[in-house]
Amino acid sequence: MWSDTILIVFISVCTAFLGEGLTWVMVYRTEKYQKLKTEVEKQSKKLERRKEIHGDSLDKAVKKKIERDEEKLKNNNRDLSLVKMKTMFATGFAFTALLSMFNSIFDGRVVAQLPFTPISWIQGLSHRNLSGDDYTDCSFIFLYILCTMSIRQNIQKLLGFAPSRAASKQGVGLFGPAPGQFK
Amino acid sequence: MATKTNTIERNGHSAKSSTLREICARAITKSEWEDKEEFLDVIYWSRQVFGIFLGVIWGIVPLKGFLGLVLFAGISCGIVYLYAINFQNVDEDAYGGVWELIKEGFMTSFAGFLVTWIIFYTGLHYDAIMAAKGS
Repeated sequence: MWSDTILIVFISVCTAFLGEGLTWVMVYRTEKYQKLKTEVEKQSKKLERRKEIHGDSLDKAVKKKIERDEEKLKNNNRDLSLVKMKTMFATGFAFTALLSMFNSIFDGRVVAQLPFTPISWIQGLSHRNLSGDDYTDCSFIFLYILCTMSIRQNIQKLLGFAPSRAASKQGVGLFGPAPGQFK
Repeated sequence: MATKTNTIERNGHSAKSSTLREICARAITKSEWEDKEEFLDVIYWSRQVFGIFLGVIWGIVPLKGFLGLVLFAGISCGIVYLYAINFQNVDEDAYGGVWELIKEGFMTSFAGFLVTWIIFYTGLHYDAIMAAKGS
């Protein structure tokens, strides 16, 4: 039973590196992206500091300044998302194809035994394409998603590609509308 | 190395940045944390290691059911709280409240914990599980 689970972890590590590598080639290393990222991080920190200092201030001028900064940050974030968009579509398609290939390899195979019974709305995932009603049987897709959740984010952080905490905290993301939601 | 590079990038100047060894030394002793990001990184990475460690233990024991999940969440959050507030004595308000500290890296470590728990549980106790299911 070790072989299947270790293979899935290996697949997950490979796809995470492949995904990050592709994104690096197409996005992260471009001058436009780096410039925008630096700008967004600088603005996020500035905004955070300003909000900390003038948090409860009722001064209209300060409020207006904060609003202006927020607007600027939002625009920069939108530009940043646009830069990433094309690549995200390309890698999205590639990974969907890869995933369906792995899915067909592991089709109907119990890859692991869960030490707990998942709650009902997760059972659709953890028991996908498996026969029988023993919900402690684990499908490929469930273990793969768990591996990816943990490995991909750690790799992103290790390589310095993860969005900064300041940018996430401002509620505007580099990778989607709510970047903090998977933390 | 990556941590060092990140710190340099985030601070914008290298004078304040610390090497990985320095950060580890400060993490295990009571220290002042001028750079909030550095302290949050310490919490994040120690949590990942701790999650994997607990996953291995839970798998070897083996712990089963909802109890394993609740115990992990309780221990993980409890230790982070005690470490940050009681051991390092950080000002929780500077980090946006204690909740921000507690949730730092929680989901990622939870996923890592689940993966190692499932892998070790399946790998070490497969025959026993199948025998129990068969009976």
